[in-house]
Amino acid sequence: MTNAIIEVVDACKSFGGLKAVKDVSFTVGAGEIFGIAGPNGSGKSTLFNLMTGIPYGPTSGEIRFDGTRIDRWPAHAIARSGLCRTFQKDAEFPDLTVLETLLVSAVYNGDLSASEAANEAQSVLELAQFDPNRVDMLSSELSVYEKKQLMIASALISKPKVLMLDEPASGLTKPEIAKLDALLLGVNRAGVTILLIEHVLSLLLSVSQRLIVLNQGAILAQGLPADVVKDPAVAEAYLGGGV
Amino acid sequence: MTPMIRNVVLPLAALIALALTPIFVIDSYTRHLFIIAFIYAIIASNWNLSLGQCGVFNFGHLTFFGVGVYTTAILAKTVGLNPLLAIAAAGVTAPIVAFLMAAPVARLKGIYVVLVTFAFSQLVMQLVLSQSQITGGAEGMVRIPYLKIGDYSFIRDYKLGYYYLCLGLLVVSTIFLILIARSPFGKSLKAVRDAEDYAVSRGISVSRQRVLALALSAIFTGVAGGFYAIYLRVASPEVFGFGTLTLALSMLLIGGVGTTYGPIVAALAISFATESLAGIRGFEEARYIVIAVAMILVLRLAPEGILGLFRRLTG
Ligand SMILES: Nc1ncnc2c1ncn2[C@@H]1O[C@H](COP(=O)(O)OP(=O)(O)OP(=O)(O)O)[C@@H](O)[C@H]1O
Ligand SMILES: [Mg+2]
Repeated sequence: MTNAIIEVVDACKSFGGLKAVKDVSFTVGAGEIFGIAGPNGSGKSTLFNLMTGIPYGPTSGEIRFDGTRIDRWPAHAIARSGLCRTFQKDAEFPDLTVLETLLVSAVYNGDLSASEAANEAQSVLELAQFDPNRVDMLSSELSVYEKKQLMIASALISKPKVLMLDEPASGLTKPEIAKLDALLLGVNRAGVTILLIEHVLSLLLSVSQRLIVLNQGAILAQGLPADVVKDPAVAEAYLGGGV
Repeated sequence: MTPMIRNVVLPLAALIALALTPIFVIDSYTRHLFIIAFIYAIIASNWNLSLGQCGVFNFGHLTFFGVGVYTTAILAKTVGLNPLLAIAAAGVTAPIVAFLMAAPVARLKGIYVVLVTFAFSQLVMQLVLSQSQITGGAEGMVRIPYLKIGDYSFIRDYKLGYYYLCLGLLVVSTIFLILIARSPFGKSLKAVRDAEDYAVSRGISVSRQRVLALALSAIFTGVAGGFYAIYLRVASPEVFGFGTLTLALSMLLIGGVGTTYGPIVAALAISFATESLAGIRGFEEARYIVIAVAMILVLRLAPEGILGLFRRLTG
């Protein structure tokens, strides 16, 4: 592994009495595609939330990004520093068009001027293979796949160091998933570190270089995909979880 | 209807019509109605910036107007500053007060924002009432100096000068609001309003945008208050009261929260409607009921306001 870009040390998050994330520690190397697996309710999204501060930081523990502790930073500052995420539930700015959504992300998250943002928007839309005839549509009028494309494009336009994707493939058809995989591999090849939450293990195994498996908020297994699948505890958790 | 017609041709035509109106309307009472309507149009359309564009449930917007009224009244009368400068000063003090109000509000949500902003406006009103040496207390201030530019006096021209000055303020304020709405900043306000977490994840500070939206919405509201003080030559604590607030709110809701022109159109329509109702004997008080009914009907039938309805009907 090259130098670490993300270090999570003993991260915990409680909701009242429920410990949704328990003493989770892992390190992500710069340039990696790092997978996060686990059955429903195992704490994957909560882990993303506490890392990005959206909408809350960790109850305890440390998050380091590029060598700097960020777990007390305001969430928008974390995003601006280059740790950029998408959401499991489709997020959109319903009153903004595709281009306006990208413009806002580029200006606020990427520190671009409005004119630079317009150029950047074109290249990001191309990269995400977005239908150029639909860039002036309101976000609320887009299809599920287009909304996902836009959410990823609006993250990419700020040129993040790390892209965190929370179940990007959910709700997509097989061909759409194939396109998404190609897109992510392309983005990663361009130097962006990727953290990928995927509930479906087989998908995750094919793209991740390393992964962790969460179960009931704690790390159950971690390592290379080939080793993790052989772990009996993983099979147990997944079969127990009904996948 | 193309956006070109809707966003450029119609507003320009309306502006030309309003600019020509004093040629045909020569009695000072009708001109007065227009001036009051313009003032309400400025109040409602700027309120829309915080409430409509940014989604801050700000019920203290009239505070900015009141601060403008008293800033100008005190500067023009007590300090003896040129009334025009005193009006301009209201465009500075009102946003400062907005910053003070925004600080506790920026991180609150929903109903708490309503409570705190409304409480803040009551606090400012109490301050005005208690500082009677400066503000005149409950009696307010009277005989505030009127406007003179060079040799031109604004009080013997059947309100012609005030009409154009106020129309000019409305135009400048509207251009200001349109430029904001079209800028990345304006887009970010809508982002914050509709999807807070997503907006934060794209580097937007929610509290900062809320504070800025409130402060920017106070600029022309304050200036309108300053103009109001010079125009009527009085300053009274009534401006902080519930009556002004509900009237402005009805304009905003009926005109369409989130649109720039809606509140302006509604302000003109409602000002004249209430005034003509007040002229009918027995209807003096009933006008508030009429507005309330209109508000409920619009919210039921066309929640996006009359302009949204118009847009829907004309495609
Ligand atoms: N805001 C919250 N308040 C209370 N409990 C929460 C909250 N968010 C998550 N939880 C609980 O924390 C646990 C972990 O939830 P989380 O959403 O992180 O799971 P997940 O691994 O992302 O699941 P999925 O695969 O269904 O997306 C669950 O038991 C969930 O009910
Ligand atoms: Mg999840």
